[in-house]
Amino acid sequence: MAIITISRGSYSKGKEVAERVAARLEYRCISREVILEASGIYHIPEIRMVKAIHDAPSILERLGGGKLAYIAYYKSALARLVREDNVVYHGLAGHLLLKGVPHVLKVRIIADLADRVLSVMKEEKINEQDARSMILKDDQERRKWTQSLYGADPWDSSLYDLVIHIDRFTVSDAVDFVCDAAGRDQFKTTAESRQKMDDLALASQVKAALVSLSQEVAVTSDYGNVLVFTRGDDRLARKIREKIKVLSRDIEGINNVEVHSGASIPPDAV
Amino acid sequence: MPVIIISSDFHQTAQAIAQSAAGVLGYDHVGRESLAKAADRYKVPEAKLHQALDQTPSFVGMTSKLWKRYLAYIQEATLSQLLRDNVVCQGLAAHLYVLGVSHVLRVRILSDPEKRVEQLASSHGLSPEKAKKLLEREKQAGRRWSMEAFGLDETDPSHYDLVISLSQIDQDEAVKIMKETAAYARFKPMTYSVNCMEDLALASRVKAVLMDRFPGARVRANRGTLIVETVALKREKEKKAKAIKELAGNIPGVDYVEVHVVNDILRQAAESFR
Repeated sequence: MAIITISRGSYSKGKEVAERVAARLEYRCISREVILEASGIYHIPEIRMVKAIHDAPSILERLGGGKLAYIAYYKSALARLVREDNVVYHGLAGHLLLKGVPHVLKVRIIADLADRVLSVMKEEKINEQDARSMILKDDQERRKWTQSLYGADPWDSSLYDLVIHIDRFTVSDAVDFVCDAAGRDQFKTTAESRQKMDDLALASQVKAALVSLSQEVAVTSDYGNVLVFTRGDDRLARKIREKIKVLSRDIEGINNVEVHSGASIPPDAV
Repeated sequence: MPVIIISSDFHQTAQAIAQSAAGVLGYDHVGRESLAKAADRYKVPEAKLHQALDQTPSFVGMTSKLWKRYLAYIQEATLSQLLRDNVVCQGLAAHLYVLGVSHVLRVRILSDPEKRVEQLASSHGLSPEKAKKLLEREKQAGRRWSMEAFGLDETDPSHYDLVISLSQIDQDEAVKIMKETAAYARFKPMTYSVNCMEDLALASRVKAVLMDRFPGARVRANRGTLIVETVALKREKEKKAKAIKELAGNIPGVDYVEVHVVNDILRQAAESFR
């Protein structure tokens, strides 16, 4: 069964589509739960996680790397929550955070600005100008976030399996599309795709555990064989090895760990 | 029954899907083969019409004036075919100029990038990295073309009702999705939407006729009433308006022609320096 990620701009009815898809397929529907999970596991105040995730990193933050640590925690929590399939996730960048897993159906819901403005005016009881500014600011922030962390434009339709222009369809139509697509063979879990998901979850967990040592750490996992790549020096590599020895006792699924310093980082590394 | 317009980042993908969809739905397929008739009607080389759809004007290639003329002929030829229902259209950039017609389902199909890279690498004898760069250049060229030709970015998903990526969803599934979507009531032609299509077709017919003498003219139609906008110097205004009315008024379906002439500021400034 599938993992469905629904990406949307604010007030694009994406949340409604996600909830109805989850209800129809009897899947779990998660969004904020990822933040709660990450806060709980990594002992970070929820409000700090929300701010770190919501706002695009500034140049200083990218250099300092603080925000990148929160992203690593978020990704680890997300992978943990969706690992068991049968889940609809509507939140930040699921299509990027869960990249490489074949049974993830990546959907984007788009809506015309005029309709979104009307929705905001109705819900927030503000005038048209304020509503428009609010939406455009939110869109810009989300775009900056994705571009600065992943070099990808969330508006690029090649990142998704399906893009639905909600203004031409009803929410029910969109739900039909998503449910139909999710039922197709390409999005059924296979042994191989489940292994990929498990490896992603494991790599994310290891990364989240190591990110306090260094931001410049990337992790891959292949059937539990974990490779850690770092741009740091041998001293850092040694610290990482020591930490991983401790981690191996707590993190399930690690068969073997290698640490490579100075080697080029594979594109699919977490 | 609706008109389905398919756009893709790779012409062959769009063609394959369009032909398959037409077969499954029992619709007519309108593609680049229809350029032969357009070439015949307007007495231009068919190869030039193909070229106009693939390339932007350049110093060594087609001039901008000629390019715009060919695009006008292609638009007219395409719109005249879309007046009938039950059509699947691809390869004629219709997604960029058939706007505001509710019984048109506009779908963008994205090829599997990994497969494309493999294809390019093997057909051009390139490394995967070079093939990827070539693919990116093609994508940007397509975007530039659509912006220059019709002022729209064809990669922007908001111009479509649906975007389907073939990375995970295969061609047959994509056709099934289109078939199911086309059956929705909102894509059934209504009097109003049919009128919109007829207006677009009429405007394109008039524009094609005006291209020779008035290449910059913009034409809109509303149930037989034409509104033509053009630029001219003050002293030419009346003469130009009269000429446009004569040319456009003779076209079947045109009841009345209104000409709006905007002062050509640039030419006026240029002449004032003489």
